[in-house]
Amino acid sequence: MKKFFLIFILFFSFSFARIKLVALPDREISYIRFDAPFTAFVEEERILTLQKGVNFVDFSWKGVNIDIDSITLTFLTNKEKLKLLSLSFPPEGNSLVWEIYSPEGGEEKIKISYLLSNIDCLYTYKIIVDKNEEKMNFSAFLIIRNFSGEDFEKGIFTPEFGKTFENSVKNEETKQILIYQKDGIKFEKLFVFDASKIIWDPETVGKNVGIPAFFEIKNIKESGLGEFPLLHGKIRIFQIDNQGSAIFLGEDNLKYTPIGESFRLNFGETRDIVVKQRKMKEVKINVRKNNSGNIVLYDTDEIIKIEIENFKDKSAKIELLQNIPDEWDMEESTHKYEKVDANNIKFIVELKPKSKEIIEFHYHRRNLRDFPFYRRDLK
Amino acid sequence: MKKILTLFILFAFNSFSKIDIVSLPLRDKVQLTIYNSADLTLVRDERVLTLKQGKNNLQFSWANTLIDPTSLDLIPKQEIASISISQLIYPPRINEVGIWEINSKISKKIPFEISYFTSGISWEAFYIGIISNDEKSMELKGFVKIINRSGEDYENASVRLVVGKINLLEEIQKLAKRYPPYGTPSEYIYPVEKIERVPVMEYRAAKGMLLEAREKEIIKEGISEYFLYTIEGTENLPNNWSKRLSSFSQKDIPIEYFYKYEEEKYGKEPRRIVKFANDLDHKLGKEPLPDGTIKIFKYINKEGNLSYIGSNITKYIPIGEKVELDLGQSKELKVEVKKMERKTKNYMFNKDGNISGWEEEEIYKVKVTNYKNLPVKLEIKRNFPHQYWKIETDKSVEWEKYDLTSAKFVIILKPMEIKEFTYKLILYEGDRRN
Repeated sequence: MKKFFLIFILFFSFSFARIKLVALPDREISYIRFDAPFTAFVEEERILTLQKGVNFVDFSWKGVNIDIDSITLTFLTNKEKLKLLSLSFPPEGNSLVWEIYSPEGGEEKIKISYLLSNIDCLYTYKIIVDKNEEKMNFSAFLIIRNFSGEDFEKGIFTPEFGKTFENSVKNEETKQILIYQKDGIKFEKLFVFDASKIIWDPETVGKNVGIPAFFEIKNIKESGLGEFPLLHGKIRIFQIDNQGSAIFLGEDNLKYTPIGESFRLNFGETRDIVVKQRKMKEVKINVRKNNSGNIVLYDTDEIIKIEIENFKDKSAKIELLQNIPDEWDMEESTHKYEKVDANNIKFIVELKPKSKEIIEFHYHRRNLRDFPFYRRDLK
Repeated sequence: MKKILTLFILFAFNSFSKIDIVSLPLRDKVQLTIYNSADLTLVRDERVLTLKQGKNNLQFSWANTLIDPTSLDLIPKQEIASISISQLIYPPRINEVGIWEINSKISKKIPFEISYFTSGISWEAFYIGIISNDEKSMELKGFVKIINRSGEDYENASVRLVVGKINLLEEIQKLAKRYPPYGTPSEYIYPVEKIERVPVMEYRAAKGMLLEAREKEIIKEGISEYFLYTIEGTENLPNNWSKRLSSFSQKDIPIEYFYKYEEEKYGKEPRRIVKFANDLDHKLGKEPLPDGTIKIFKYINKEGNLSYIGSNITKYIPIGEKVELDLGQSKELKVEVKKMERKTKNYMFNKDGNISGWEEEEIYKVKVTNYKNLPVKLEIKRNFPHQYWKIETDKSVEWEKYDLTSAKFVIILKPMEIKEFTYKLILYEGDRRN
């Protein structure tokens, strides 16, 4: 449905008497970019037949939502000679009139650009992991949602991801277009046990406590990607099975990932790795008292034991995140850990098939105060 | 009723004029992969399309079903290099229709796979356990039950069941009801026109209900973090029907049948527990056991009469892991725990003369009665208010520290035996803890 009207009105010299209504030039081509939410930036090319002198070009629209202040006109031919004298907005709204001076008559190419609402795009992705979990096939789709009120028969779309392409999109149409596909992408599979989010001891709740499973993919050339920043969108993950068919592993949101960065996809949970975490010791030590015998400052002596059992017949990499509040010193740890920040540490364990590993770490929390009035910041 | 229609429409070149409706290809093969952790089934539908060189359009419609339109996918199974599927169009103001644009360099009959997610088909695991007369072994039978409420009939479908927990961002049922398929850029709701339905043949459910001479086998294999059950052959799954199939059966699984007592968790009645492991020692361990309801029965005589013991929902049991089934309260055993004495002692005072620490001493008497004519094992767990405690017992009773704030007593009773013991609990308070 055509909702834009470009009425080309010719006036001779400086006279205000309307003499001739020439043409309703069709748009040649539209360039569409999705730079803002729910909105597209449209640049359309049209041919105008200008007369010598001052010409008034009337541009109006109906049933579409244009940001009127975003409308601009650019001359693509005879840029030096043509002059845009003024732009006026008639009282009835949804239209404007350009006043153009042309030293000679003839056909001129112009570009009209504006922001159009209710048309945008989404990105969705699909991954197919091979049977042996070595490589994956990665596809990206652009979803154009056009509810702007306007049809674009010849649109040049420039997504933020992938290459520019030509397509048509009707009003109220949704289109899913494959914009990128790559095979042989490298990845890593891992499991994450975050002690601040997951139940420590499954025995206390009497139900399975799944450990979130992830694929980690680097957006770099060495992994097979690294051509574009990846934009936010839903990603559905499949894996080829032994019957030559595929099963759906799960889905996650792919976060915006610039080139050089990596992203993690939580596709599901494993119940074949069981983590049991227990606090084996927590006592007050170095207790210091005031003259009334009240405890003013103390340290603690704490031991945490984590049992990780891999029931799978494949090896598994698991990350264990542990939060230790307040000031602390590590006394002893059976495994190496990485200090993530002041209060978080991370263990990375490679579990062999059908194996069990026990991590135990012993730490002191320092200079604890039970009574808030002893705290300097609350005085 | 068949509700999914595939119209194969050919368009010549770039023209939008409809030239010919070549065929209405029927389903050649259909495969259902049903998940139990989410209301989701992956359907793979195989059909042969007759492609013409140039642009071909395939219309797919699914009115009154629960299909997620954002999951639609079309994959050529042959001549992949000559065929490209450039886009999928959801036409304006028409719900439950998608049109694929297929560009083909050749004119040929090509098998295609159409895949999509649907909601409304589910499956669950179900077990029956029969405990031997001496309570030392159990026969375990596993079943799977498939329920189709998707609005679509699936005939001669190969059925696969997935055990495992997938991550889903949005419910398939909600996506199936959303229009337009990906929503709109604004909040405005667009009116929908229902597509005119072509009357189609109704399939009778009875057609698929022929009895087979033997039970179907279920092939089991692991994939990624999940387990896949593939049911041998094909199944008919008419809408609103459900089906139960046998998954496995194992006799003489050695079990430990014992009792647990923990006031804070179960109250004052002991609980019956059946313990075994999903491993080779227990004649299992071939596959993980999916979560499901288990009903336990017991042989009460040599004639094979059964009594119903209890039912529970089992958790997922990976290969190699132990399982404890709680079968509810039992009157076969009585446990009485009484506090017989409480006293405080060993006071400490600070320099102002106020109390700064002390000890609390409590004596408990435990009496256990076995009303059964079989020996029993009982585990009593006692929980304490904090971790500063000590226990002293008679030598006649075994106990161990369970964790920071609890201890576990293990008592073995002969048939019809009564056992009594006492234990002393000392709790350290205030400065006595240091």
